[in-house]
Amino acid sequence: MLDNLIHAALIMTTPILLAALGGLINRTGGIVNIGLDSMMLFGAMTALIVAADNGSWLLALAVAGGTGAFIGGLMSLVITRLKANEIIVGLGFSIVATGLARFILKSTYGVSGTLRLPDVTRLPVIDIPGVADVPVLGAMLSGHNVLTWFAWGMVPAAAWFLVRTRAGLRLRATGAGEKAARSLGLRPLAIRDASTLFAGFMAGLAGAYLSIGLVGIFNEGITAGRGFIALAAFYFGRNHPVMTALGALLFGFFDALQIRLQGRGFPPELVQTLPYVMVIVILAMLAWSAKKRNGART
Amino acid sequence: MAMPSTNPATYTGFSALKLIGTALLPFALALVVAGVVLAMAGHNPFDVYRLLALESFGSSKRIAATMAAATPLIFTGLGTAVAFRAGAFNVGVEGCVSIGGLAAAYVGFTFVTLPAALLLPFAMLAAALAGLAWMIIPGLLKARLDADEVVTTLMMNFIAVAIATWLVNGPLLAVGSANSATPMVAEAARLPRLMRGSTLNAGFLIALICVLLYWLWGKRTALGFETRLAGMSPRFATATGMNVPRLVLKMMLLSGALGGIAGGTHALGNVYRYVDGFSPGYGFVGIAVALLGRGNAWGILMAAILFGALSTSGATIQLFSDVPIEIVDILQGMVMIFAVARFGALGRKAA
Amino acid sequence: MTQSLALKAGEARVRLGARGITRRFGALTANDQIDFSARPGTIHAIVGGNGAGKSTLMRILQGMDQPDEGSIIVNDSAVTLSGPAEAFRLGIGMVHQEFMLVNQLTMLENLILAREPVSSLGVIDRAAALKAGQDLAERAGVTLNWHQRVQDAPVHARQILEILRLLYRGADVLILDEPTAVLAPQQIRDLLVLLQRLRDDGRTILFISHKLGEVMAISDDITVIRTGRVITSGPADETSKAQLAVQMTGEMVRAVTPRRAREGDTVLSITGLGLTDGRGIRRLSGIDLSVAAGEIVALAGISGNGQDELVEAITGLSSISEGNVALRYHDVTGMSLHQRRALGLAYLSPDRAHEGLCLEASITDNVIAGHHRRAEFLASGLLRLKAIRAHAEAQLDRFGVRRDSAALPVSSLSGGNQQRVAIARELDGSPALLIACQPTRGVDIHGIAAIHQCLLEYRDAGGAVLLVSEELEEIMTLADRITVLFNGAVRGTLRRGEADVESIGRLMLGEDA
Repeated sequence: MLDNLIHAALIMTTPILLAALGGLINRTGGIVNIGLDSMMLFGAMTALIVAADNGSWLLALAVAGGTGAFIGGLMSLVITRLKANEIIVGLGFSIVATGLARFILKSTYGVSGTLRLPDVTRLPVIDIPGVADVPVLGAMLSGHNVLTWFAWGMVPAAAWFLVRTRAGLRLRATGAGEKAARSLGLRPLAIRDASTLFAGFMAGLAGAYLSIGLVGIFNEGITAGRGFIALAAFYFGRNHPVMTALGALLFGFFDALQIRLQGRGFPPELVQTLPYVMVIVILAMLAWSAKKRNGART
Repeated sequence: MAMPSTNPATYTGFSALKLIGTALLPFALALVVAGVVLAMAGHNPFDVYRLLALESFGSSKRIAATMAAATPLIFTGLGTAVAFRAGAFNVGVEGCVSIGGLAAAYVGFTFVTLPAALLLPFAMLAAALAGLAWMIIPGLLKARLDADEVVTTLMMNFIAVAIATWLVNGPLLAVGSANSATPMVAEAARLPRLMRGSTLNAGFLIALICVLLYWLWGKRTALGFETRLAGMSPRFATATGMNVPRLVLKMMLLSGALGGIAGGTHALGNVYRYVDGFSPGYGFVGIAVALLGRGNAWGILMAAILFGALSTSGATIQLFSDVPIEIVDILQGMVMIFAVARFGALGRKAA
Repeated sequence: MTQSLALKAGEARVRLGARGITRRFGALTANDQIDFSARPGTIHAIVGGNGAGKSTLMRILQGMDQPDEGSIIVNDSAVTLSGPAEAFRLGIGMVHQEFMLVNQLTMLENLILAREPVSSLGVIDRAAALKAGQDLAERAGVTLNWHQRVQDAPVHARQILEILRLLYRGADVLILDEPTAVLAPQQIRDLLVLLQRLRDDGRTILFISHKLGEVMAISDDITVIRTGRVITSGPADETSKAQLAVQMTGEMVRAVTPRRAREGDTVLSITGLGLTDGRGIRRLSGIDLSVAAGEIVALAGISGNGQDELVEAITGLSSISEGNVALRYHDVTGMSLHQRRALGLAYLSPDRAHEGLCLEASITDNVIAGHHRRAEFLASGLLRLKAIRAHAEAQLDRFGVRRDSAALPVSSLSGGNQQRVAIARELDGSPALLIACQPTRGVDIHGIAAIHQCLLEYRDAGGAVLLVSEELEEIMTLADRITVLFNGAVRGTLRRGEADVESIGRLMLGEDA
């Protein structure tokens, strides 16, 4: 039971974690990415199509990431060059993407809602010999596909990138002090665009994980709002990769838990709300401490 | 977080021509982009658009259908606009639609012994109060602590839908019903139809009254005056003696109440109950309506009718041609994006 | 590049200067034929009050703005600066009043940002970065906690970081805009020592300030500007603080307007007011002040000596640490601005663009805001637009606001007319007390006279005015009593007649009258 739950939690964590890390990098650079869900959706769709067509899961991932990055790039340009409000644009992209995905399914495949393709190559599962049978550890480490390993590998990588590299420093400077960064000759808008490309890439991979990693089909509701849960995760983690990963893990656990709770009398819908409630609580606490710090002016 | 670049509060209304221009441009651009999508899918965009126009306004029945579809959008557009005008970036009207719809349905199927003269107003009031209550937490957080209302209200949406889903799957599930829905509301709780063979109902009249009240509020009331100034310049409003946090809270609550009424009219006028998937994004489209209408009462009405036309004609166009209805979502989302894009920013170098 | 520049700089007679620089904004001439020459290896002070045209000049010297006429001199030759990057290429760097630091990053990260020492693959060489920072600090004779986040660092450390960063990036001309405004006395002394050390190291420093003590203490040359013109420019040892004070604020040119009104009841009474801010810095202490009906009391002082804080305390925009504020014998200490307004307070904000007016709103809206709930404008819950418009027009006429239409945004008016709109609103409904802050800032000469007339008429009708101004001339023209603030405390109060420019100047500098 516990093993199952741990395993399921990790499986549900991966897409949230991938998208959250992308969103974290994006927000570090100064853009709150509300459109992650749209990039995830198209990543899921293109991954399935390529995996069925071509048979290479690696190519499928590349195309999914590329599609996500492309959508991210478009969104970023509207925000940085046309000075459009990031929230509205993000919501707009989500609405367009949902419609476009269904439109494509109907126009191209003549199906409504769900796309099943023959011979879909699934993401390979990596098993470490001998570990699978160890209790708990086996549940944690075995039976996961390449993207799960990649996602967790990206956690320290992102932390290292932000603190130790030139690009990471400039990204942080752009997000936290655009004016200062510009006065030093950096190009904040270009840096921001790059960060959105990355966010789109990661969200695209998250989508691929859902379609060719988990279920092997594509459905218009496949993301189930995980792009927004990812948003909750990096708000929860306050932009620290490790804290964000913990947030994603927690939300993945809730996701796994609510599946298990179905039919046990406890409402799974209420478990689903926990990520969102936690974000509000955290924002309230942050705002309260900020107000206390600033004090005086009434 | 910054307000949308086209803060409707900044529009003072001394150039009607400019208003039409700025409102039509996003729509025209959305038509172009969606036209490309249509052409790529092998449809002639001009034929599709002609059909859309015909199906929206081609006959009195079609017009009635358009107005019926516009009804909830008028409420959500107004709801978004009042918050925007106060400088509060409320994207949580969507959640209020669900909560309000559920509250109206609950009253409508619970107090079935009441006469229509009591039950209907009671149900609508419940919808408004539920929507209002749903905005108390984000409203207080914004007004008292200046917590980012975009994220809190966005999160409240997901919570609202999840709670409503839980309720209609359990405590409020109709007896003998397999799908997630409440029982049907009593006849007495239903909004009267305005036209035979059409879903157009009295909710549309309430919506028109609200547009009028919104216009009056913006133009003729002290509260509307204060809200406008507080949205444009909180420091100025404070210095002239206005209580800006209280104004912001009030407008957030009003915004929620309007969202609740949107849900109430949808529940009591169209579906006669609350079902899972109750709102097809009325609250989010409301943001596009408010932006496209530039916060102006008549602009919002026009924009809501436009979006209503899209959704109603999209539904029927699918029957007559092989154009997927989703072209409507694409158009709606595109309008939203283009409504906040500032094309003038392109030629300028960033300051 | 740096080598040849240094050589050239060493030989030049003028490292950085201006020849006939003129910059106009509409009717306002912000810079009018500005000339100055900063010699290499010297500290050159540019002195002037608010609105004298210093910031415009600084923007031009940074290439952020282009002069309409005249040219910038770098190493004896005229140059055109396309922007800060171009200025920097010529070795000119600036420390802005608003620091260009990223608060969430550490001191060291801010130092190296955009010029990071990297090893392979873009990985920051932290050892090299730290060594560069420590070397710079050692050379300058300062110590910094390099691993502290800027937001946790004290203000003087941030300022030192800004200066060191310019050096790190290779600048040898440093422009410092009001660098001591944010510092405590001991920190100011340390900064001045640092600047002298940098000068002795061969750097050229342009020191913009209105604190005459500091200017006299470290400058080699001083240029005084007022209303966009150079009043005087020359070696520091040929002038004095008193002389500078007069040159900066302008001598009395106008005859004193005779008093007509008699003093009445006390309207504003402040006792023992003190304020310690969020960072624990003492902003105001032991202030006693009163204003009676029918008199204008001026609050004089060099800006940053507590005027803003005192005004916020009187208006209720911010709370105070100790003491009392009474308005017409009501204790209003804990009251909101709204409640104080109801008791007869009117407040003319010094920040016209953001607080005094709502620029996007119409002229009518700006006149009526705050009065709109009066019974004559509100009937059964609805605004009486006709009455409002008529009243606004009458007020605009009364205060001589020249406009095309009162329905246009107030931003369409000139500065002087904008200010009259604000005054028209504040003097509406005969308030008992007017707090008038910088009432003529950014207003042309005709506008100034008209605004002064408004204030005098209001006083003569029995109004009480607390005038806060940096224009000594204005204060001498209008005030019945002058209270001088220095370092957050009342340094002295002079009656009309006993006040002259010299004695006020001495009080403003913290000396005895």
